[in-house]
Amino acid sequence: MIPTFGFMTLALGFLLTVYGIGVLIWGVIKKSQACIESARLAMLLIFPLVSLSIIAMVILLLGNHFEVVYVYQVTDQSMPAYLRLTALWGGQSGSLLFWSWLLAGVSMAFSIPKRRQTSGIFPWAGLVLFTTLCFFLAMNLFIDNPFESFWRQADGSWVISMFQPSGGWALLPENGQGLNPLLRHSGMILHPPALYLGFVGFAVPFALSIGSLASGRKDRRWLELARPWMLVAWVFLSLGLVLGMRWAYDVLGWGGYWGWDPVEVSALMPWLSATALMHTGILQGRRDGYKRWNVFLVALTFCLVIFSVFVTRSGIISSVHAFTESDVAIPLLLLLIILMLGSIGLLVFRWRDLQGTHEPRFGFNREVLMLLTDLVLLSILAVCFLGVVYPLGSELFTGSKMTVGETWYERITGPLFFLLLLLMGICPLAAWGSVNFKRIKRRILILIPISLIFPFLIWLLNVKDVLASFVLWLAGLGGLVIVSEFILVVRRAIRQSSGEGLHGLWRFIRHQTRQVGGLIIHLGIILLGIGIIGIEGLQQETQVALSLGESTSLGGYQFTYDGLELYTTDEEVEITEAVLTVTRDGKDVGTLYPQKQLYASLNQSIMQPGIKSTLAVDLYAVMINGDALTEEKAAFAIYVNPLVTWLWIGAAVLTAGTVVAALQEQKQVRLPNQT
Amino acid sequence: MTASGSTRRKSNRLKFIIGGLLFIAAVIVMIVSVSQATAEFFMTVQELLESEKDLAGQNLRISGAVIGESIVYDPASGWLSFTIAHIPGDEDEIEGLGGLSEVLHQAVNDPDNPRLAVRYEGAAPEMLRDEAQAVLTGTLEADGTFIVEELLLKCPSKYEDAIPEQVGE
Repeated sequence: MIPTFGFMTLALGFLLTVYGIGVLIWGVIKKSQACIESARLAMLLIFPLVSLSIIAMVILLLGNHFEVVYVYQVTDQSMPAYLRLTALWGGQSGSLLFWSWLLAGVSMAFSIPKRRQTSGIFPWAGLVLFTTLCFFLAMNLFIDNPFESFWRQADGSWVISMFQPSGGWALLPENGQGLNPLLRHSGMILHPPALYLGFVGFAVPFALSIGSLASGRKDRRWLELARPWMLVAWVFLSLGLVLGMRWAYDVLGWGGYWGWDPVEVSALMPWLSATALMHTGILQGRRDGYKRWNVFLVALTFCLVIFSVFVTRSGIISSVHAFTESDVAIPLLLLLIILMLGSIGLLVFRWRDLQGTHEPRFGFNREVLMLLTDLVLLSILAVCFLGVVYPLGSELFTGSKMTVGETWYERITGPLFFLLLLLMGICPLAAWGSVNFKRIKRRILILIPISLIFPFLIWLLNVKDVLASFVLWLAGLGGLVIVSEFILVVRRAIRQSSGEGLHGLWRFIRHQTRQVGGLIIHLGIILLGIGIIGIEGLQQETQVALSLGESTSLGGYQFTYDGLELYTTDEEVEITEAVLTVTRDGKDVGTLYPQKQLYASLNQSIMQPGIKSTLAVDLYAVMINGDALTEEKAAFAIYVNPLVTWLWIGAAVLTAGTVVAALQEQKQVRLPNQT
Repeated sequence: MTASGSTRRKSNRLKFIIGGLLFIAAVIVMIVSVSQATAEFFMTVQELLESEKDLAGQNLRISGAVIGESIVYDPASGWLSFTIAHIPGDEDEIEGLGGLSEVLHQAVNDPDNPRLAVRYEGAAPEMLRDEAQAVLTGTLEADGTFIVEELLLKCPSKYEDAIPEQVGE
């Protein structure tokens, strides 16, 4: 009953996409506003329909409807309500439905303002969104249907199908398999929705650019309309990536946060091209140029989004956290090809229209630095792409399959990421036009002595790594440049608003949101970079078996094993918790509680690390060799991760910066149609 | 536009082109040199055992089914050793043989299947158990033992089993 309802609403949504595609094409050919308006209304209806599907799925998940295969796979009776809700995106078919739902939501939000259909962009942009939605809903319906159930047949066998087979009756398993223990973590609540929102968010900028190209507009109206979407999608994508790192760090227990797995890399790729797009987007806002470049970048970003979905779900590229193989590979590939050929074709077709008059001047100025930033970002992107397809390519060309690992990525992208960090520190010093080198010199001479505090602080951390200290010093100097720029902006604001008091200051800042927001975002990324350098460059680790009361020392800390504690949680998880007391120079620092969690119903156990975080250092311990674990003796992998907390702080700062930057975007879009 | 203006524009453009090309060349040089130093040959256990090439010192990545009873951890030396059984390297082939879990099960229980002893410095991860799929990166020693540098075991979403065990009673 409920599965059928969910399936039917989904099917209606799918039919509406087909209707929308047809009526839009007809409307464009016949120049019929009525047809286009009808398509817009159809678009508004899809999201409510898919929402009904989602509600049906949530009811099934919350209500122990184990006759539904998906519910059986991802929930069991002992799971609390919030976990059942996150089970919506805990498995392949559910998460694909969730994807479609978000995409429908974004498409609806885009289609609400009626005025947009008159700008000439809507029919084509709508067509892009309808087509993408059509593909995803079709996959939900025909290939990876989350509403399929188990049925018992007359001869005693059982089948999986959407509708009741003749002579069959419903089969209700007593209990489900339950969500994979590794996914039962707060990071899993937020990581997939944030990442997916970031992904689908780029559908709109892409649709706008295609709409603008197809309708023959030569202005940058599409970019202005797209910018708030780009900002929001970008920040969600960033958050999705960082939350995924946090989840890996908290759950997987190998002391790291990022493993350069193809799935991770493929999620990073659209972020890189989107970041490049944000930079040249600013340039196009100031100059009569970069039109082709930005159209290319927005198309690249959305194609990479689809590519990422393809890598995650097709099973073509082997990865530790790819989904089970399913047949979505072909439709996804088809969609990717359509999007790619469509955008390339349009870009070539309109090539002359996108001619700009502006030529950048070579030298030390912001424009050149931003172009260099783009070049570095796209180089990292190319390296990532190469790494993902390397196994396929090498098999094709050399016959033997070769893959690349963490070391490969780190050695190549390390210097490039470092260059980005440098550029972020240098860029605020450069001006748009000619540069006053005297002033820069004065500023640097003030900042360098202050920046020496960073190597000093690192020295306090007991770290003797010269290279890492040097890199951290430069990163810190870059951060100081950004902070000083920030102070200059505020000081200028105070000067200009003299007499108007705080109100005037606020107004000035409001006018500068793009600049202020940008500075905060870059500061966030530098902080994030400091966290990454800390854990990548300065991590210390040891593996040790400790008897009761025995200690080991690492990075100046003493870790003492003080026994086990056993208990069972409300979710029927049997916990074996080790107590590791940490001291430094005889002084108590804290206690780590690494756990072994046994999910008896799944016959699966996982190791949860015990972590103690401070701004300077994370102490991280995870039990190993859980089978031989006794009160008398336990084995641990212990990590000392300097500075890693700054990774999470940086992400928070970056988010705040994006919010500030988005404040003005709102205002800008409300301006009348210029250009 | 005067002649000198147009030459200036040309030389300006040339600087961009040269700068960009130099940068791209540097990235390519880096990719090639790092690839030569670190790229890994992806092989199955069978291919590794039958290979006539000299594999000593090469970075290899192999995939196989973990044989549960072979897992031995020596706390004194900190070395973990176990044996993996051959599984096909091709995803389609695995699908054709009835899916990954079936292939892993068969591989472990077939005594004629090629096997490879591996050693890893470190303790056993929780997911290392009978019939798990191990993806190992490392090098081959002269005595035919595989020394593992990086140990990956198939995790989360792969455990989605389509067939419920309770169903059928």
